[in-house]
Amino acid sequence: MKFSLSWLADFVDVEACGGAAGVRDLLDRAGIPIESAETRGSDTILEAEITPNRPDAMAHRGLAREVAAMAGRPMRDVESRYADPQASGDTTEHLTSVVIQVPNLCRRFGARLVRDVSGRPASDLVRARLAAIGAKSISAAVDATNYALWDTGQPLHAFDFDKLSGALLFVRKARRGEKLVTLDGIERTLDPSDLVVADADRVVSLAGVMGGLDTAVGSQTRNVLLEAAWWDPATIRRTARRLGMHTDASHRFERGADIDAIPGALNLAARLIVESAGGSVAPGLLDAHGNLFRVRRTSLTLSRLRLLSGDDRIDLDFAEEALRRLAFTTERRAKRLSVAIPLFRGDVRREDDLVEEVLRVWGYDRLPSRLPPASGAGEVREPLRRVEDALTDRAAAAGLFETVNYPFVDRAADESPWAGWLRETGAAAEPLPIVNPLDASRRHLRATLLPGLLDAVARNLRHGAPNVALFEVGRAFGEAGEPDRPESYESRRLAFALAGDLRSHWNVPDKLRGADFFDAKGLVETLVREWVPPAELVWKPVRVAAFTEGAAATAETRAGTLVAIAGLLSGAERERRGLSTPVFAGEILVGAIPSQARPFRFAPYSDLPAIVADLSLTQPKSLSWDVLSSFVRGVGLANLEAVSCHDRYEGPGVPPDAVKTTLRLTFRSPERTLEQDEVNREVRRLAEALSSRPGVAVTGA
Amino acid sequence: MSDRAPDDEIARLLAAFRDESGRGASSRAEFERLKGRWLGRDKGLVPELFGKLKSLPPGERAGFGVRANAAKTEVEEGIVRLGRALEASEAASRDRAAAVDVTLPGRGVRTGGLHPITIVRRRIEDIFLRMGYSIADGPEVENDFHNFEALNFPPDHPARDSQDTLLVDREAASPLLLRTHTSPVQIREMRKHGAPLRLIVPGRVYRKDEVDATHSPVFHQVEGLVVDQGISMADLKGTVAAFLEELFGKGTRTRFIPTFFPFVEPGVDVSMSCIFCGGSGCGKCKGSGWIEIMGAGMVHPRVLQGVAIDPEEYTGFAFGLGLDRVALLKYGFPDLRLLFEGDVRFLGQFAGVA
Repeated sequence: MKFSLSWLADFVDVEACGGAAGVRDLLDRAGIPIESAETRGSDTILEAEITPNRPDAMAHRGLAREVAAMAGRPMRDVESRYADPQASGDTTEHLTSVVIQVPNLCRRFGARLVRDVSGRPASDLVRARLAAIGAKSISAAVDATNYALWDTGQPLHAFDFDKLSGALLFVRKARRGEKLVTLDGIERTLDPSDLVVADADRVVSLAGVMGGLDTAVGSQTRNVLLEAAWWDPATIRRTARRLGMHTDASHRFERGADIDAIPGALNLAARLIVESAGGSVAPGLLDAHGNLFRVRRTSLTLSRLRLLSGDDRIDLDFAEEALRRLAFTTERRAKRLSVAIPLFRGDVRREDDLVEEVLRVWGYDRLPSRLPPASGAGEVREPLRRVEDALTDRAAAAGLFETVNYPFVDRAADESPWAGWLRETGAAAEPLPIVNPLDASRRHLRATLLPGLLDAVARNLRHGAPNVALFEVGRAFGEAGEPDRPESYESRRLAFALAGDLRSHWNVPDKLRGADFFDAKGLVETLVREWVPPAELVWKPVRVAAFTEGAAATAETRAGTLVAIAGLLSGAERERRGLSTPVFAGEILVGAIPSQARPFRFAPYSDLPAIVADLSLTQPKSLSWDVLSSFVRGVGLANLEAVSCHDRYEGPGVPPDAVKTTLRLTFRSPERTLEQDEVNREVRRLAEALSSRPGVAVTGA
Repeated sequence: MSDRAPDDEIARLLAAFRDESGRGASSRAEFERLKGRWLGRDKGLVPELFGKLKSLPPGERAGFGVRANAAKTEVEEGIVRLGRALEASEAASRDRAAAVDVTLPGRGVRTGGLHPITIVRRRIEDIFLRMGYSIADGPEVENDFHNFEALNFPPDHPARDSQDTLLVDREAASPLLLRTHTSPVQIREMRKHGAPLRLIVPGRVYRKDEVDATHSPVFHQVEGLVVDQGISMADLKGTVAAFLEELFGKGTRTRFIPTFFPFVEPGVDVSMSCIFCGGSGCGKCKGSGWIEIMGAGMVHPRVLQGVAIDPEEYTGFAFGLGLDRVALLKYGFPDLRLLFEGDVRFLGQFAGVA
């Protein structure tokens, strides 16, 4: 919002306040930061940022009051500016009157008539000042209303009096379907929640927002009816928002106008019109009242002032002086002030608001500074956040870079390939949509982090990165939630993606460099190991369109809780995303991880030597390692400590549907040193047992 | 042979051994040959010497035997020495074979890294954990009650304009939305735990902002809340000053100016002395010497009442700041969008940053 320094000087001695720089500092202290100050001729234009609680400062008079209060300077006497102008002829009240049908929504309605105006423009001063703050000059009447607005903060409207039908105006709610062409030439269809001014025949103004075109003043207008009123903020805001209108008037009415400013603003505007365009002001002011406000009083105690400020140097004398400067009236009681709040300070309601007013004048910089004494439970972390932090550290240590991706997707376009996974995770069949999305093509909240992460993978590969390893810790939405527990829609996740030559090194053979499924699976195992050890995870093949069938699996705990998914992106999904490299990806359900650390028991170990024996076999590919290794453990070999997969081979010498597996068996007794012979016996026993399985042939031991 | 004196033969034999062993063994095979020639059980030169004992006259036998034994000891020790020398040279040659071009690249463990937002967030968490704060969390899908109403934003109030809200399309008693700030967690925590309270809430927040260099519809905040008996603006000032000095370095000055947030009274904008020019004024601070960094204030009594905390007994302060902006200021990258692109050329630069 723009303000003219010379205009402010009408109300306060700005030179005594330090000129433009001084005023700027004072307003900063007042809480009205000046974004920029631009010299324009002999004037300086200040661009001020005014918070919505201070409509009183959205005009020169109000802003000057802040400057004067902060500076401790008096306000100039400007009474004559707003006084009843010289008038002649019939009184305004005699020529027109108003019926307020909604006394809570229109608490005051004032009008003043100016007759026999010419087409001459506004005075040089008025036009120069309006130009300085970026307002256009239109005519003497319109300029006068704008000038009065920027002077007092009270919005006004000028009707062409002769175009009004009848002498009676009505302030009422609009009727359903009623129409009004507003000043901007747009026909508005009104709603019973809108406030209007109407004459005998029709609506003539959308109250507090914009006047009607039919009754607007123009170059031919001879008689101008100036109107100024107080409108209910919430009603004006709803109307303005519904119609997508935002005007200088609605901006102020939404925030609360100064009901006391109405007569002065009308007088000022009427006088300005006559001064430049001639004519005469009709005597008297039409001043109709709805339910007027009563002046509110609040107490300010010394104890509250010192408690909130933490400053024992402040006393009631200072508070009284500060409040008076800001136009509050005070009465001194023993240890408190009884304070009457001016009606233009609708933002001040309670004692703490008065404390703020006093402290603004005192200066926040003068308040002492200290640390609160230690107390409270303290140092507790929300449990899942600890898990997320640990997962984040592990993923970064495992070579992945953390990303943050937007959660906005289109369910059909982005998530349908993941439908299988969404079903597994219990995401609702219906996505969670945004009513007012930034981008209509991404109007749903993500139900998995994977599509967004894969977008980032694709961007990196397009930039020529030889390998990409990324993850994100974030939230997915669309659990079947309960509307009254918003948190029930969320699921906390870690998603990851691996692509390209992860083991790129001059002495690693080419074919061993690329990411593969076991990188993805191993990552899941590494990440969750603190809570769920790898042996407790059960991997099951899963069908998800975005993954390659047979190269994707979910991981569950032995108790059956779904923990993660991992897999190789399908050819179709890569095609769709323009990915030239195989990409392995997965997602961990952070909330499914038991966040309590596992109970820990020390396990004794033996110092006696182990005997390791390898056993090779060819087996059908359809025989999974899970089944094979359980079978081996189930044979009941004496002193078998561990069985692991030592090697796998496919290719020449092995039938196409088969694979050669080398088992590594570790034997150890906790009590004695084993003999090679007894181990060999056990291995032979295993070889026989394995050979009995269809398609299995032991090839060496 | 028999015409020679047996003593001379021992001396000659030893001389020959010294000569031969002095030349050393260049390989394991040569060493074994040499060892066999001198000490071999059947035809070794030293055992052969003892064979001659029988042919000597009994009077000479004792003297010869003593000297032959001494010669045997010398040869055996010589062979052991040779063996050790051979092992040493073999080890050396093995080591020579293990030599590499040390200038070739090493095969390290691949390193990833934390996102700059995480780095900044943890730094801030550490500072407040040391000051005895807890870390709380709340949902990103919120409702109007927690995000606005309980924070003293009445319906149809222009204060809501500054937080353009993304609304979630689900029927609910209190309309669902994406939280526009981390402040709703204040309400949740106060309702859960009452007073006293001392916590921070880091988290992702959402506003309907078009993406540009300084705006993003997704960004991050840290909220702070302290409620206790006798908490004042002075405590807020001290806390904020200590925090900003920890985060941005000793000598960082802070300034409070009044402002308006519905959920605090008084409300303040906190600026810090410009970290680029130290406060003398530069392009980054638009010549003012100050950079706006946080919003703060004393918890509004209506907010306390709403969560059944008596504002006469307890007072509190709250503050909030944007992590994205902190990262941008601290690390000097030009555009907020970089945080959300997942580009490893950007992310890789933060590996090891603390």
